[in-house]
Amino acid sequence: MKTRDFARNLLARNELGTIMPMALLLIVVGFVNPSFFAANNILDILRTASFAFIIAVPITFLMAGGGMDLSIGAATSLGGVICAFALKAGMPVAVAILLALLGGAMVGVFNGLIIVKFALPAFIATLGVQYAINGIIAITTKNLAISGFSSAFKVLGQGKLFGAVAYPVLYALVIGIAGHIMLTRTKYGRSVLAIGGNAETAYLSGINVRGKQISIYIATSVFAALSGVLQAARFASAQPAAGSGTELTIMASVIIGGTSMFGGTGTVLGSALGCVLLATITNALIVMNVSTFWQNLIFGVILIAAIFIDKYRRRASGGE
Amino acid sequence: MDYILEMRHVTKRFPGVVALNDVSIGLHKGEILAICGENGAGKSTLMKVLSGSYASHEYEGEIWIDGQKADFTSVAVAEHHGIEMVYQEMNMMLDASVAENIFVGHLPGKLGWVDYPRLYADTQQILDEIGLPIKPREKVRGLNSGQLQMLSIMRAISRKPRIMVLDEPTSALTDQETDLLMSHMVRLRDSGVAILFITHKLEEIYRIADRVAVMRDGQMVSLHQVKEVEKRQLVEEMVGRKIENLYPKNQPQIGEEVLKVEHLSVPHPTVKGRNIVEDVSFSLRKGEILGIGGLVGAGRSETLGAIFGQITGGVKGKLTVFGREAHIGCPRDAIRAGIGFVTEERKKSGFVWVLSIRENITLASLSHMPKRYIIDRKAERVRAQAMSDRLRIKAPSIETRIVNLSGGNQQKVVLGKWLLEEPRILLIDEPTKGIDVGAKAEIYTIMSELTRAGISIIMVSSDMPELVSMSDRCLVLSNGRLTGTFEGEQITQANVMRAAIAQ
Repeated sequence: MKTRDFARNLLARNELGTIMPMALLLIVVGFVNPSFFAANNILDILRTASFAFIIAVPITFLMAGGGMDLSIGAATSLGGVICAFALKAGMPVAVAILLALLGGAMVGVFNGLIIVKFALPAFIATLGVQYAINGIIAITTKNLAISGFSSAFKVLGQGKLFGAVAYPVLYALVIGIAGHIMLTRTKYGRSVLAIGGNAETAYLSGINVRGKQISIYIATSVFAALSGVLQAARFASAQPAAGSGTELTIMASVIIGGTSMFGGTGTVLGSALGCVLLATITNALIVMNVSTFWQNLIFGVILIAAIFIDKYRRRASGGE
Repeated sequence: MDYILEMRHVTKRFPGVVALNDVSIGLHKGEILAICGENGAGKSTLMKVLSGSYASHEYEGEIWIDGQKADFTSVAVAEHHGIEMVYQEMNMMLDASVAENIFVGHLPGKLGWVDYPRLYADTQQILDEIGLPIKPREKVRGLNSGQLQMLSIMRAISRKPRIMVLDEPTSALTDQETDLLMSHMVRLRDSGVAILFITHKLEEIYRIADRVAVMRDGQMVSLHQVKEVEKRQLVEEMVGRKIENLYPKNQPQIGEEVLKVEHLSVPHPTVKGRNIVEDVSFSLRKGEILGIGGLVGAGRSETLGAIFGQITGGVKGKLTVFGREAHIGCPRDAIRAGIGFVTEERKKSGFVWVLSIRENITLASLSHMPKRYIIDRKAERVRAQAMSDRLRIKAPSIETRIVNLSGGNQQKVVLGKWLLEEPRILLIDEPTKGIDVGAKAEIYTIMSELTRAGISIIMVSSDMPELVSMSDRCLVLSNGRLTGTFEGEQITQANVMRAAIAQ
């Protein structure tokens, strides 16, 4: 009886989809190559996860609110490229970053308007935006990476606190904590969950549904651009395809972390675990000397399992 | 004369409700038998039994066809016996042609090829017979809801049924389309088809039906030759039940006017060029329960929706709230003006099922909470718990998810959501729909307490006893128009029913 209750409680936890595979992974990798647990390696995993997590925080709000956005990868690339152009034009670092974030905000405003105001299906609309942005990037950069930044810029991505913890990990930590508090403790967060759970009820309860939805789309693109800026700093080069493909892995990480793709539930903590899990898989395969081609296969299996758990959880809790 | 179709002692139970109670009725070849009754009298359940939607083991009683017992195990069996149903809601393939929709499942042709010339010719023939001015090749998406309804009727006719069952087929039709349908039904009858015609429009019964049966509370209460029965008697039979004493109505302290609605018109959601609410004016006074009666589709919910800003497109009329003209463009405007709205569909628009009682009950009053951005958890718990206690919501705790509650307790949470917001005017659409008697009585008590505290309530109700007992004043809508206003002693079921079916 007790164990069954325990199992049910465990199943009811939103973050379950990440905790179980993560534990399994750590045990296996630990056996094969104990150096996986070296402090340096762990910190490296966290740094890799940080770039995705910075976007995963607003995506958690977006998906918990019932939305989706396929243009985040393109917005990431765009952020890096705008920043690089500005730096190359001799602008100060702060101005260059601000311009990049502004570019992201414009993408978000556009997404928000066409999806929320004109009620286009988010999936197709943001897919179109993704293509359009990638096109703009290709035209302006001729698909060549931009490099040669000042160290004042590069340190934002390469610097380490006490020579150990990479700055991006710190940014992710701050953004993550802020996101967590917003989602769980504020009226804004509660409204987002209500909108994702039942937009009609939320609207009739006096919540400004459209305004909230648009604000999330804007935040999503802004943070995607920020991640692009940080990646440009980290690799000392703005790649035109820096964010390509990340839209799906980030959304997958968020879903694995327990955010329902049908809206209404989600936690920032779960999304953090989802991002770390993906980075861990990649890293573990390298440490174990297994081809990285396996990464997609493993991640795919975990994603499908996570959706199963999501569906089970919704049924168990009496929803549709 | 022998029956072509006969139901013998059919009883259908749902948990807690007997939807059909020992119903026996027979249908002759070549007659139109009308079945009338209030909302919820059991007409639709009856129809589902006849269509085979409820398999024979799901109810008690028997169905006989041509003097032989038939076992309706599925919809296919009913169709095999020549029964065709026409439902109120239509299932159409919107991007296929008129012809394909009519003949779906029975397309002419062989070896998997469709004989399109024949299909279009056959379709044209049916269209001509009825006199509907649409083309066989036309895409269905462009048709209006009346034409769609006519299509579903033609779909049934194209299968050459022996028995047709129509469920309020005219509710979406224009007068002209209704005329076409009526005359075709008469033609079908004269060619020997037996027609069961479910309706609550008495005019239509007198126009084409041969016999009429009245249903009430799941029972068949009477059966008449239409020629031999008066309208008044049908109305009395439709409503005539005893009123249970579960209405704790106290002497109201009615004050000044708080809400005034003038010349309200709301466009029909699906039929273009028609209004579902047509030039309705009324006022609401402090501490009053204003009931709105009428049949389903009369425009009652739309009236509330328009006042609350849920429906905005094309709405005309003037709204005065507490003496000031109000321009309500969305629910937030209405809430700011002091109005709350308990909708009819709890699950669809009343609560958020993934959230707990606490989170649902504070949803409309988040802006009243002490801090500006952060939710003060303690304050929220205290408020939610107090409201839960006040309404006596039965649940393990306020952290319980709302989906795990009974309908009555869910309704209390929705009510509590609005009470925490402290509105001065509360709109309630079907306050006790789908909840048990005990919870009903509690909801009535709460409503009475609210009016005593000076809150005014507009209550839309299809539950006659509830409407008659709880209303201080009662409006009745029929086809979007105000057809009756009753006060005090005048609020009787017969008066309300007469106004509800007035044309």
